[in-house]
Amino acid sequence: MNTLSTVFNAVFSLDTVYVLTGLVLWVFAWLNLRDRHHSRRRGSALFWFILGLIFITGSLLPHWLTGALVLLMVVLDGAGRVGHRGASDETTKTGQVEQKERTLGNRIFLPVLLIPAVTFALALVFRALGADANRGALVGLGLGGVVAMLAGVALTKGSAGEAFREGRRLNDSMGAVIILPQLLASLGIIFTASRVGDLVAAGIQGIIPEGNLFLLVAANCLGMSLFTMVMGNSFAAFPVIAAGVLVPLIIRPFGVDPAMAAIITLTAGSTGTLMTPMAANFNIVPTALLNMRDQYGVIKFQIPFALAIWALHVLTMWALIRLL
Amino acid sequence: MELTELFKLAGIVIVVAGLALRLRPTLVVVTAGVVTGLIAGLPLLSSEGVVSGLPYLTREGQEGIVNMLGRAFTENRLMTLFIITLPAVGLAERYGLQEQSARLIRRISAATVGRLLVVYQLFRVTMGALGIRLLGHPAFVRPLVFPMSLGAAEAEAGVTDVEKLPVREVERIKAADAASENYGNFYGQNLSPVQAGILLVYGTMKGLGYEVSVWRLVLFTVPIVVYSIVIAALQFHLLDRAQRRTFGELREGAGE
Repeated sequence: MNTLSTVFNAVFSLDTVYVLTGLVLWVFAWLNLRDRHHSRRRGSALFWFILGLIFITGSLLPHWLTGALVLLMVVLDGAGRVGHRGASDETTKTGQVEQKERTLGNRIFLPVLLIPAVTFALALVFRALGADANRGALVGLGLGGVVAMLAGVALTKGSAGEAFREGRRLNDSMGAVIILPQLLASLGIIFTASRVGDLVAAGIQGIIPEGNLFLLVAANCLGMSLFTMVMGNSFAAFPVIAAGVLVPLIIRPFGVDPAMAAIITLTAGSTGTLMTPMAANFNIVPTALLNMRDQYGVIKFQIPFALAIWALHVLTMWALIRLL
Repeated sequence: MELTELFKLAGIVIVVAGLALRLRPTLVVVTAGVVTGLIAGLPLLSSEGVVSGLPYLTREGQEGIVNMLGRAFTENRLMTLFIITLPAVGLAERYGLQEQSARLIRRISAATVGRLLVVYQLFRVTMGALGIRLLGHPAFVRPLVFPMSLGAAEAEAGVTDVEKLPVREVERIKAADAASENYGNFYGQNLSPVQAGILLVYGTMKGLGYEVSVWRLVLFTVPIVVYSIVIAALQFHLLDRAQRRTFGELREGAGE
């Protein structure tokens, strides 16, 4: 039983899916290098090779070396050496493919449905086994990608090479922006170590009129939204605003229900997340995934929603303080 | 407040200016991080291994900026994990995923982009309440919701090819698809007492001297979730109405 769980933990670990993802990236790098029509093939190949290397060996490499490799990737992209293809680069279909498309019909959904199905299934399995369901979902997404590719190849009677060429097409249409969420995470850590948050909390304390409950609530929600926009993440902003504004200026002096005020402050931050390019994995990566022309298209759509729900946060918190 | 303290905000200025000027976001973000760290007096490298005790580049007992960069990048690989799904999605697209989605949706005449997105958001809220994190953009929106919403728009406009839809409308549909995922995800996840958001609030408040019940946190997130569903439904309804008008003109134009 013990060996069984050891094997389970090894196979269904995040490191396994990171290594698999790294190998996929190495194939993309290889395809870029071999592409004679690619004007920036060397830079692109090197970029995806390094990213693959970090995926495969990231848990073993010393952090300073990974950091140096990340700097190299950013310099490559900054110098315009990484290829990026627009939405115009559609898949090329031969007559043979179109004929198969007609005979496949709805069965073409099977491989892509496997991605969420495996993600979901592993989350449930992990949870049933008492493990972390979120880790299960991540491992599920990774393994789901592999299972879906194999199913797709079997279904279309295509080849793995065909799948990787199509994968590389999607990957190149996104380009280097793919790593932005990871870079923003490091920016957050540097901001925290530099104590930028304390500065923001001090600034808010300086301008708030003490005693006026409604204005205090509005300033609290505004500060949370703005700081989340800077950090790109309400989870990074919450501890700073809670310690610097919410507790000393609202909860303690007015004897407010801490649970109510805290959770509403957190989602006031989510309002900021909807409006900031710093939340790249929610707002910028999707524009790349969907080949949108405007990098800020998702944010622009979300702004009216965000403003409306922000106002309701202020009103609700204020009303609940009065009622409770 | 001291002036040197204010200089720490240089990173924020660099980010805002750099993104406004549409410079390479990767370069902007890393530059902002390095500049902020240096102004705050952080060393470039941790004092360990071969660089141990090196003057200027290291300082005893402080993590270096390059080390932080590497550590955060490594620890957050999960954010980029979706790359592994690209071969499967690409292959399915080559064999008609989008065309077939459109055909399927066209048979359900009641389906509109807006109604589809309301349903997807509710699904997403439910998953959040069950404590399941889904990485919706790569796992659901790109492979499923997006082709289905395009299919709904094609049915509405009476065309069989996405090329015949106005680009502006297609772009709005893409934005709405991504937004429905974010709306459902951000607010729905707080309905589960074991998700990261609730646990973060619980932990932070405990650190500040307030022991709150996770269930009470969930209770007070309910009105916010209701708002998010109602406002989104309104926004998606308005999108439907605007597109019905545009597509109606498109149909008349095609009929002439």
